Amino acid sequence: MSNLQIALELLCVGMVTVFIILCMVVLIGNLVVHFVNRFVPAEAPKVKVPRKRTSEISRKRIAAIVSAVNTVTGGKGHVVKIERR
Amino acid sequence: MDILNKLYEMTAFGDIFGNPGYIVMLLIGCLLLYLGIKKQYEPLLLIPIGFGVILANLPGGGMGVVDASNIQLADGRYMNFFEIAHEYGIMNLLYYSLIKTGLLPPIIFMGVGALTDFGPMLRNLKLAFFGAAAQLGIFIVIFAAIFLGFTPKEAASLGIIGGADGPTAIYTTIKLAPQLLGPIAIAAYSYMALIPVILPFVSKLLCSKKELMINMKEMDRKYPPKVKIKNLHVVKIIFPVLLGIVICIFVPSSVPLLGMLLFGNLVKEIGISVGRLSDTITNAIMNTATIFLGLTVGATMTADVFLNWKTIMILVGGFLAFAISILGGISAVKITNLFNKKKINPLIGATGLSAVPMASRVANEIALEHDPSNHILQYCMSSNISGVIGSAVAAGVLISFLG
Repeated sequence: MSNLQIALELLCVGMVTVFIILCMVVLIGNLVVHFVNRFVPAEAPKVKVPRKRTSEISRKRIAAIVSAVNTVTGGKGHVVKIERR
Repeated sequence: MDILNKLYEMTAFGDIFGNPGYIVMLLIGCLLLYLGIKKQYEPLLLIPIGFGVILANLPGGGMGVVDASNIQLADGRYMNFFEIAHEYGIMNLLYYSLIKTGLLPPIIFMGVGALTDFGPMLRNLKLAFFGAAAQLGIFIVIFAAIFLGFTPKEAASLGIIGGADGPTAIYTTIKLAPQLLGPIAIAAYSYMALIPVILPFVSKLLCSKKELMINMKEMDRKYPPKVKIKNLHVVKIIFPVLLGIVICIFVPSSVPLLGMLLFGNLVKEIGISVGRLSDTITNAIMNTATIFLGLTVGATMTADVFLNWKTIMILVGGFLAFAISILGGISAVKITNLFNKKKINPLIGATGLSAVPMASRVANEIALEHDPSNHILQYCMSSNISGVIGSAVAAGVLISFLG
Protein backbone atom coordinates (compact mmCIF):
# COMPACT_ATOMS: atom_id res chain seq x y z
CA MET A 1 0.00 0.00 0.00
CA SER A 2 1.42 3.40 -0.91
CA ASN A 3 2.05 5.93 1.81
CA LEU A 4 -0.52 8.35 0.38
CA GLN A 5 -3.12 5.61 0.51
CA ILE A 6 -2.26 5.10 4.19
CA ALA A 7 -2.70 8.85 4.73
CA LEU A 8 -6.11 8.78 3.04
CA GLU A 9 -7.16 5.81 5.14
CA LEU A 10 -5.98 7.54 8.30
CA LEU A 11 -7.93 10.68 7.37
CA CYS A 12 -11.16 8.73 6.87
CA VAL A 13 -10.81 6.33 9.80
CA GLY A 14 -9.40 8.98 12.15
CA MET A 15 -12.06 11.64 11.54
CA VAL A 16 -14.91 9.11 11.63
CA THR A 17 -13.59 7.57 14.88
CA VAL A 18 -13.16 10.96 16.57
CA PHE A 19 -16.65 11.98 15.47
CA ILE A 20 -18.21 8.70 16.69
CA ILE A 21 -16.44 8.96 20.04
CA LEU A 22 -17.60 12.53 20.57
CA CYS A 23 -21.13 11.45 19.59
CA MET A 24 -20.81 8.93 22.39
CA VAL A 25 -19.60 11.63 24.76
CA VAL A 26 -22.78 13.57 23.97
CA LEU A 27 -24.93 10.46 24.25
CA ILE A 28 -23.39 9.29 27.54
CA GLY A 29 -23.59 12.83 28.92
CA ASN A 30 -27.30 13.03 28.08
CA LEU A 31 -27.98 9.57 29.51
CA VAL A 32 -26.21 10.40 32.76
CA VAL A 33 -28.04 13.74 33.06
CA HIS A 34 -31.45 12.07 32.50
CA PHE A 35 -30.61 9.24 34.90
CA VAL A 36 -29.50 11.62 37.64
CA ASN A 37 -32.44 13.99 37.09
CA ARG A 38 -34.81 11.05 37.49
CA PHE A 39 -33.22 9.02 40.28
CA VAL A 40 -30.80 11.30 42.15
CA PRO A 41 -32.19 14.85 41.96
CA ALA A 42 -30.54 17.30 44.31
CA GLU A 43 -32.02 17.50 47.79
CA ALA A 44 -33.67 20.79 48.54
CA PRO A 45 -31.29 22.77 50.72
CA LYS A 46 -32.39 22.87 54.35
CA VAL A 47 -33.34 26.40 55.27
CA LYS A 48 -32.44 27.34 58.81
CA VAL A 49 -35.32 29.11 60.52
CA PRO A 50 -33.89 31.90 62.59
CA ARG A 51 -35.00 31.68 66.19
CA LYS A 52 -36.65 34.63 67.75
CA ARG A 53 -34.01 36.48 69.59
CA THR A 54 -36.18 37.71 72.41
CA SER A 55 -37.00 34.18 73.44
CA GLU A 56 -33.28 33.46 73.80
CA ILE A 57 -33.04 35.84 76.76
CA SER A 58 -34.19 34.02 79.82
CA ARG A 59 -36.61 35.56 82.31
CA LYS A 60 -34.01 35.33 85.06
CA ARG A 61 -31.59 37.36 82.99
CA ILE A 62 -34.30 40.00 82.21
CA ALA A 63 -35.07 40.24 85.92
CA ALA A 64 -31.39 40.66 86.70
CA ILE A 65 -31.02 43.42 84.09
CA VAL A 66 -34.13 45.28 85.35
CA SER A 67 -32.98 45.14 88.95
CA ALA A 68 -29.49 46.26 87.95
CA VAL A 69 -30.92 49.28 86.08
CA ASN A 70 -33.15 50.07 89.10
CA THR A 71 -30.21 49.97 91.46
CA VAL A 72 -27.92 52.10 89.25
CA THR A 73 -30.57 54.76 88.39
CA GLY A 74 -32.16 54.77 91.83
CA GLY A 75 -35.55 53.64 90.50
CA LYS A 76 -35.73 56.41 87.87
CA GLY A 77 -34.65 54.41 84.88
CA HIS A 78 -36.89 51.99 82.97
CA VAL A 79 -35.94 49.10 80.70
CA VAL A 80 -37.82 49.56 77.42
CA LYS A 81 -36.02 47.10 75.14
CA ILE A 82 -33.31 44.47 75.51
CA GLU A 83 -31.23 43.73 72.43
CA ARG A 84 -28.50 41.13 72.00
CA ARG A 85 -25.42 42.36 70.14
CA MET B 1 52.81 25.41 27.46
CA ASP B 2 52.11 21.72 27.91
CA ILE B 3 50.09 22.49 31.04
CA LEU B 4 48.09 25.15 29.17
CA ASN B 5 47.37 22.66 26.39
CA LYS B 6 46.14 20.11 28.92
CA LEU B 7 44.01 22.77 30.58
CA TYR B 8 42.51 23.69 27.19
CA GLU B 9 41.80 20.04 26.44
CA MET B 10 40.16 19.64 29.84
CA THR B 11 37.62 22.37 29.04
CA ALA B 12 34.90 22.22 26.39
CA PHE B 13 36.25 25.16 24.35
CA GLY B 14 37.88 22.92 21.74
CA ASP B 15 34.66 21.00 21.04
CA ILE B 16 32.50 24.12 21.00
CA PHE B 17 34.72 25.99 18.54
CA GLY B 18 35.22 22.80 16.50
CA ASN B 19 31.49 22.33 15.98
CA PRO B 20 29.48 25.55 15.53
CA GLY B 21 26.30 23.47 15.91
CA TYR B 22 26.86 23.55 19.67
CA ILE B 23 26.86 27.35 19.64
CA VAL B 24 23.66 27.44 17.56
CA MET B 25 21.97 25.03 20.00
CA LEU B 26 23.14 27.03 23.02
CA LEU B 27 21.61 30.12 21.41
CA ILE B 28 18.36 28.23 20.77
CA GLY B 29 18.34 27.15 24.42
CA CYS B 30 18.81 30.77 25.49
CA LEU B 31 16.02 31.87 23.10
CA LEU B 32 13.64 29.35 24.67
CA LEU B 33 14.58 30.61 28.12
CA TYR B 34 13.97 34.19 26.96
CA LEU B 35 10.55 33.27 25.56
CA GLY B 36 9.64 31.46 28.77
CA ILE B 37 11.00 34.00 31.26
CA LYS B 38 10.50 37.35 29.57
CA LYS B 39 7.60 36.70 27.19
CA GLN B 40 5.87 34.20 29.54
CA TYR B 41 5.18 31.77 26.65
CA GLU B 42 4.31 28.49 28.45
CA PRO B 43 7.03 29.20 31.06
CA LEU B 44 6.41 25.98 32.97
CA LEU B 45 7.51 23.98 29.93
CA LEU B 46 9.76 26.25 27.90
CA ILE B 47 12.09 27.05 30.79
CA PRO B 48 12.93 23.39 31.61
CA ILE B 49 13.12 22.58 27.87
CA GLY B 50 15.42 25.55 27.22
CA PHE B 51 17.69 24.60 30.08
CA GLY B 52 17.65 20.97 28.95
CA VAL B 53 18.82 22.10 25.51
CA ILE B 54 21.71 24.01 27.09
CA LEU B 55 22.71 21.05 29.29
CA ALA B 56 22.58 18.63 26.35
CA ASN B 57 24.81 20.82 24.20
CA LEU B 58 27.64 21.35 26.63
CA PRO B 59 30.29 19.01 25.18
CA GLY B 60 31.72 16.55 27.66
CA GLY B 61 28.81 17.03 30.07
CA GLY B 62 27.20 13.76 29.02
CA MET B 63 23.71 15.21 29.39
CA GLY B 64 22.55 14.79 25.79
CA VAL B 65 20.14 11.95 25.10
CA VAL B 66 21.71 9.30 22.87
CA ASP B 67 19.95 7.36 20.12
CA ALA B 68 18.15 4.15 21.14
CA SER B 69 20.57 2.10 19.01
CA ASN B 70 23.30 2.96 21.54
CA ILE B 71 21.51 1.26 24.39
CA GLN B 72 20.67 -1.85 22.40
CA LEU B 73 22.98 -4.78 23.10
CA ALA B 74 24.30 -7.29 20.57
CA ASP B 75 21.73 -9.94 21.52
CA GLY B 76 18.83 -7.57 20.76
CA ARG B 77 17.85 -6.73 24.34
CA TYR B 78 18.30 -3.29 25.88
CA MET B 79 20.62 -2.16 28.68
CA ASN B 80 19.04 -2.02 32.11
CA PHE B 81 18.63 1.35 33.84
CA PHE B 82 21.81 0.95 35.91
CA GLU B 83 23.83 0.25 32.77
CA ILE B 84 22.30 3.25 31.00
CA ALA B 85 23.10 5.54 33.93
CA HIS B 86 26.62 4.15 34.17
CA GLU B 87 27.33 4.40 30.45
CA TYR B 88 25.47 7.54 29.36
CA GLY B 89 24.70 9.51 32.54
CA ILE B 90 21.62 10.54 34.49
CA MET B 91 19.84 12.43 31.72
CA ASN B 92 19.69 9.26 29.63
CA LEU B 93 18.49 7.35 32.68
CA LEU B 94 15.68 9.89 33.11
CA TYR B 95 14.84 9.89 29.42
CA TYR B 96 14.72 6.13 28.97
CA SER B 97 12.90 5.47 32.25
CA LEU B 98 10.38 8.34 32.18
CA ILE B 99 9.91 9.34 28.55
CA LYS B 100 10.80 6.36 26.39
CA THR B 101 8.61 4.13 28.54
CA GLY B 102 5.73 6.57 27.92
CA LEU B 103 5.28 7.20 31.65
CA LEU B 104 5.19 10.98 31.95
CA PRO B 105 2.56 12.05 29.36
CA PRO B 106 -0.21 9.95 31.00
CA ILE B 107 0.88 11.25 34.41
CA ILE B 108 0.52 14.80 33.12
CA PHE B 109 -2.86 13.88 31.65
CA MET B 110 -3.93 12.76 35.12
CA GLY B 111 -3.02 16.23 36.38
CA VAL B 112 -4.86 17.87 33.48
CA GLY B 113 -7.92 15.76 34.35
CA ALA B 114 -7.75 16.90 37.96
CA LEU B 115 -7.69 20.52 36.77
CA THR B 116 -10.50 20.09 34.24
CA ASP B 117 -14.13 20.85 34.93
CA PHE B 118 -16.53 18.90 32.70
CA GLY B 119 -19.39 21.11 33.92
CA PRO B 120 -19.41 23.54 30.96
CA MET B 121 -19.36 20.61 28.52
CA LEU B 122 -22.19 18.81 30.32
CA ARG B 123 -24.30 21.98 30.27
CA ASN B 124 -23.74 22.43 26.51
CA LEU B 125 -23.26 18.90 25.24
CA LYS B 126 -24.11 19.66 21.61
CA LEU B 127 -21.11 21.98 21.35
CA ALA B 128 -18.84 19.00 22.06
CA PHE B 129 -19.18 17.95 18.41
CA PHE B 130 -16.93 20.80 17.35
CA GLY B 131 -14.09 19.13 19.21
CA ALA B 132 -14.18 16.49 16.47
CA ALA B 133 -14.15 18.92 13.55
CA ALA B 134 -11.13 20.70 14.99
CA GLN B 135 -8.99 17.57 14.66
CA LEU B 136 -9.00 18.01 10.88
CA GLY B 137 -5.56 19.64 10.85
CA ILE B 138 -3.96 16.48 12.27
CA PHE B 139 -5.02 14.31 9.35
CA ILE B 140 -4.61 16.88 6.55
CA VAL B 141 -1.03 17.62 7.59
CA ILE B 142 -0.23 13.89 7.64
CA PHE B 143 -1.10 13.93 3.94
CA ALA B 144 1.14 16.88 3.21
CA ALA B 145 4.02 15.50 5.29
CA ILE B 146 3.96 12.13 3.51
CA PHE B 147 3.88 13.97 0.20
CA LEU B 148 7.02 15.86 1.26
CA GLY B 149 8.93 12.69 2.06
CA PHE B 150 8.21 11.96 5.74
CA THR B 151 7.52 8.35 6.62
CA PRO B 152 3.90 7.67 7.77
CA LYS B 153 5.04 7.39 11.40
CA GLU B 154 6.96 10.67 11.23
CA ALA B 155 4.04 12.34 9.42
CA ALA B 156 1.61 11.17 12.12
CA SER B 157 3.87 12.57 14.84
CA LEU B 158 4.01 15.87 12.97
CA GLY B 159 0.25 15.96 12.33
CA ILE B 160 -0.66 15.41 15.97
CA ILE B 161 0.71 18.90 16.72
CA GLY B 162 -2.62 20.05 15.21
CA GLY B 163 -4.38 18.59 18.25
CA ALA B 164 -2.78 21.44 20.24
CA ASP B 165 -2.09 19.16 23.15
CA GLY B 166 1.51 18.91 24.37
CA PRO B 167 1.36 15.60 26.30
CA THR B 168 -0.60 13.94 23.46
CA ALA B 169 1.95 15.11 20.88
CA ILE B 170 4.82 13.85 23.03
CA TYR B 171 3.15 10.51 23.73
CA THR B 172 2.38 9.89 20.05
CA THR B 173 5.90 10.85 19.00
CA ILE B 174 7.48 8.57 21.61
CA LYS B 175 5.44 5.69 20.22
CA LEU B 176 5.90 6.44 16.52
CA ALA B 177 8.98 8.57 15.80
CA PRO B 178 11.07 9.16 18.94
CA GLN B 179 13.90 10.67 16.89
CA LEU B 180 11.66 13.72 16.24
CA LEU B 181 10.65 14.22 19.88
CA GLY B 182 12.64 17.43 20.45
CA PRO B 183 11.41 19.51 17.51
CA ILE B 184 7.83 18.22 17.82
CA ALA B 185 7.63 19.06 21.52
CA ILE B 186 9.06 22.51 20.84
CA ALA B 187 6.61 23.12 17.96
CA ALA B 188 3.63 21.86 19.98
CA TYR B 189 4.33 23.97 23.06
CA SER B 190 5.44 27.04 21.11
CA TYR B 191 2.28 27.12 19.03
CA MET B 192 0.17 26.51 22.11
CA ALA B 193 1.86 29.55 23.61
CA LEU B 194 1.12 31.44 20.40
CA ILE B 195 -2.64 30.71 20.54
CA PRO B 196 -3.33 34.40 21.37
CA VAL B 197 -1.75 35.23 17.98
CA ILE B 198 -2.84 32.29 15.80
CA LEU B 199 -6.49 32.01 16.88
CA PRO B 200 -7.45 35.69 16.32
CA PHE B 201 -5.54 35.66 13.01
CA VAL B 202 -7.37 32.63 11.61
CA SER B 203 -10.80 33.45 13.05
CA LYS B 204 -10.78 37.06 11.82
CA LEU B 205 -9.71 35.78 8.42
CA LEU B 206 -12.59 33.32 8.20
CA CYS B 207 -15.46 34.96 10.10
CA SER B 208 -17.52 38.06 9.39
CA LYS B 209 -18.11 40.68 12.09
CA LYS B 210 -21.77 39.64 12.20
CA GLU B 211 -20.81 36.04 12.94
CA LEU B 212 -18.39 37.07 15.67
CA MET B 213 -21.18 39.11 17.29
CA ILE B 214 -23.56 36.14 17.71
CA ASN B 215 -24.56 36.41 21.35
CA MET B 216 -24.79 32.95 22.90
CA LYS B 217 -26.72 34.00 26.01
CA GLU B 218 -29.31 35.73 23.86
CA MET B 219 -29.61 32.57 21.79
CA ASP B 220 -30.08 30.57 24.99
CA ARG B 221 -32.87 32.94 26.05
CA LYS B 222 -34.58 32.62 22.67
CA TYR B 223 -34.10 28.86 22.46
CA PRO B 224 -33.60 27.59 26.01
CA PRO B 225 -32.04 24.14 26.53
CA LYS B 226 -34.61 21.36 26.92
CA VAL B 227 -33.01 19.64 29.89
CA LYS B 228 -31.66 21.25 33.04
CA ILE B 229 -29.22 19.35 35.23
CA LYS B 230 -30.72 18.87 38.68
CA ASN B 231 -27.67 17.43 40.43
CA LEU B 232 -24.48 18.42 38.64
CA HIS B 233 -22.21 17.00 41.34
CA VAL B 234 -23.49 13.44 40.86
CA VAL B 235 -23.45 13.79 37.06
CA LYS B 236 -19.82 14.86 37.23
CA ILE B 237 -18.93 11.76 39.26
CA ILE B 238 -20.76 9.21 37.09
CA PHE B 239 -19.74 10.78 33.76
CA PRO B 240 -15.94 10.13 33.80
CA VAL B 241 -16.40 6.53 34.97
CA LEU B 242 -18.94 5.64 32.30
CA LEU B 243 -17.20 7.62 29.58
CA GLY B 244 -13.85 6.00 30.41
CA ILE B 245 -15.24 2.49 30.14
CA VAL B 246 -17.07 3.09 26.87
CA ILE B 247 -14.36 5.05 25.03
CA CYS B 248 -11.60 2.74 26.12
CA ILE B 249 -13.54 -0.27 24.79
CA PHE B 250 -13.82 1.44 21.40
CA VAL B 251 -10.27 2.85 21.18
CA PRO B 252 -8.11 0.81 23.60
CA SER B 253 -4.90 2.52 22.52
CA SER B 254 -6.19 5.78 23.99
CA VAL B 255 -6.51 4.22 27.47
CA PRO B 256 -3.15 5.47 28.85
CA LEU B 257 -4.06 9.08 28.08
CA LEU B 258 -7.84 9.17 28.45
CA GLY B 259 -7.94 6.69 31.32
CA MET B 260 -5.58 8.82 33.37
CA LEU B 261 -7.37 12.05 32.38
CA LEU B 262 -10.70 10.67 33.55
CA PHE B 263 -9.21 9.23 36.74
CA GLY B 264 -7.73 12.61 37.62
CA ASN B 265 -11.08 14.24 36.92
CA LEU B 266 -12.98 11.71 39.04
CA VAL B 267 -10.68 12.32 42.01
CA LYS B 268 -11.28 16.06 41.67
CA GLU B 269 -15.05 15.69 41.47
CA ILE B 270 -15.37 13.34 44.45
CA GLY B 271 -14.21 16.27 46.52
CA ILE B 272 -13.20 16.58 50.12
CA SER B 273 -12.96 12.87 51.00
CA VAL B 274 -10.05 12.44 48.55
CA GLY B 275 -8.88 16.03 48.72
CA ARG B 276 -5.36 14.92 49.58
CA LEU B 277 -5.13 12.83 46.41
CA SER B 278 -6.46 15.64 44.27
CA ASP B 279 -4.04 18.07 45.85
CA THR B 280 -1.08 15.71 45.28
CA ILE B 281 -2.04 15.09 41.64
CA THR B 282 -2.42 18.75 40.75
CA ASN B 283 0.61 19.98 42.66
CA ALA B 284 3.37 17.56 43.62
CA ILE B 285 2.97 14.96 40.87
CA MET B 286 2.07 17.35 38.06
CA ASN B 287 4.93 19.73 38.88
CA THR B 288 7.50 16.94 39.20
CA ALA B 289 6.36 15.38 35.92
CA THR B 290 6.50 18.76 34.18
CA ILE B 291 10.06 19.42 35.34
CA PHE B 292 11.39 16.06 34.18
CA LEU B 293 9.39 16.12 30.96
CA GLY B 294 10.77 19.54 30.05
CA LEU B 295 14.39 18.77 30.94
CA THR B 296 14.51 15.42 29.17
CA VAL B 297 12.70 16.63 26.05
CA GLY B 298 15.18 19.52 25.91
CA ALA B 299 18.04 17.08 26.30
CA THR B 300 16.97 15.21 23.15
CA MET B 301 17.74 18.33 21.12
CA THR B 302 21.41 17.81 20.47
CA ALA B 303 23.00 19.67 17.54
CA ASP B 304 23.28 16.62 15.29
CA VAL B 305 19.62 15.64 15.81
CA PHE B 306 17.99 19.08 15.78
CA LEU B 307 19.83 21.03 13.10
CA ASN B 308 18.41 19.59 9.92
CA TRP B 309 15.74 20.37 7.34
CA LYS B 310 13.17 18.13 9.06
CA THR B 311 13.08 20.47 12.05
CA ILE B 312 12.16 23.39 9.81
CA MET B 313 9.51 21.29 8.07
CA ILE B 314 8.10 20.29 11.48
CA LEU B 315 7.84 23.92 12.57
CA VAL B 316 6.05 24.90 9.34
CA GLY B 317 3.87 21.75 9.34
CA GLY B 318 2.96 22.28 12.99
CA PHE B 319 1.71 25.79 12.27
CA LEU B 320 -0.33 24.53 9.32
CA ALA B 321 -1.82 21.73 11.43
CA PHE B 322 -2.86 24.29 14.05
CA ALA B 323 -4.38 26.67 11.53
CA ILE B 324 -6.26 23.91 9.66
CA SER B 325 -7.66 22.56 12.95
CA ILE B 326 -9.06 26.01 13.80
CA LEU B 327 -10.44 26.23 10.25
CA GLY B 328 -12.09 22.81 10.69
CA GLY B 329 -13.85 23.91 13.87
CA ILE B 330 -15.03 27.22 12.41
CA SER B 331 -16.28 25.54 9.22
CA ALA B 332 -18.26 22.99 11.25
CA VAL B 333 -20.03 25.82 13.11
CA LYS B 334 -20.78 27.64 9.87
CA ILE B 335 -22.30 24.50 8.37
CA THR B 336 -24.37 23.91 11.53
CA ASN B 337 -25.62 27.51 11.44
CA LEU B 338 -26.96 26.94 7.92
CA PHE B 339 -29.45 24.39 9.24
CA ASN B 340 -30.25 25.67 12.75
CA LYS B 341 -32.33 28.55 14.00
CA LYS B 342 -30.24 28.74 17.13
CA LYS B 343 -27.02 30.26 15.79
CA ILE B 344 -23.63 29.47 17.27
CA ASN B 345 -20.69 31.85 17.46
CA PRO B 346 -17.94 30.42 15.16
CA LEU B 347 -15.33 31.15 17.84
CA ILE B 348 -16.76 28.16 19.70
CA GLY B 349 -15.69 25.97 16.80
CA ALA B 350 -12.25 27.56 16.77
CA THR B 351 -11.71 26.40 20.34
CA GLY B 352 -12.38 22.78 19.39
CA LEU B 353 -8.67 22.10 19.47
CA SER B 354 -7.20 21.37 22.91
CA ALA B 355 -5.03 24.08 24.52
CA VAL B 356 -7.34 24.32 27.53
CA PRO B 357 -8.19 26.92 28.75
CA MET B 358 -6.09 29.39 26.79
CA ALA B 359 -8.02 28.91 23.52
CA SER B 360 -11.32 29.60 25.32
CA ARG B 361 -9.95 32.69 27.05
CA VAL B 362 -8.65 34.10 23.76
CA ALA B 363 -11.94 33.36 21.96
CA ASN B 364 -13.86 35.03 24.78
CA GLU B 365 -11.71 38.14 24.45
CA ILE B 366 -12.36 38.30 20.70
CA ALA B 367 -16.12 37.98 21.30
CA LEU B 368 -16.01 40.74 23.93
CA GLU B 369 -14.14 43.00 21.50
CA HIS B 370 -17.12 42.80 19.15
CA ASP B 371 -19.87 42.86 21.80
CA PRO B 372 -18.94 43.73 25.41
CA SER B 373 -21.96 41.76 26.73
CA ASN B 374 -21.11 38.57 24.84
CA HIS B 375 -19.36 36.31 27.38
CA ILE B 376 -18.82 33.00 25.58
CA LEU B 377 -16.16 31.46 27.83
CA GLN B 378 -18.42 28.71 29.22
CA TYR B 379 -19.58 27.74 25.72
CA CYS B 380 -16.02 27.69 24.37
CA MET B 381 -14.92 25.49 27.26
CA SER B 382 -17.39 22.86 26.09
CA SER B 383 -15.77 22.39 22.68
CA ASN B 384 -12.34 23.02 24.19
CA ILE B 385 -12.66 20.13 26.66
CA SER B 386 -14.13 17.84 24.03
CA GLY B 387 -11.08 18.77 21.92
CA VAL B 388 -8.85 17.23 24.60
CA ILE B 389 -10.82 13.98 24.30
CA GLY B 390 -10.81 14.27 20.49
CA SER B 391 -7.05 14.72 20.20
CA ALA B 392 -6.39 11.80 22.59
CA VAL B 393 -8.68 9.60 20.47
CA ALA B 394 -6.93 10.78 17.28
CA ALA B 395 -3.61 9.86 18.88
CA GLY B 396 -5.02 6.45 19.77
CA VAL B 397 -6.09 5.89 16.16
CA LEU B 398 -2.65 6.89 14.84
CA ILE B 399 -0.83 4.65 17.31
CA SER B 400 -3.01 1.62 16.64
CA PHE B 401 -2.72 2.09 12.86
CA LEU B 402 0.98 2.80 12.62
CA GLY B 403 2.52 1.66 15.90
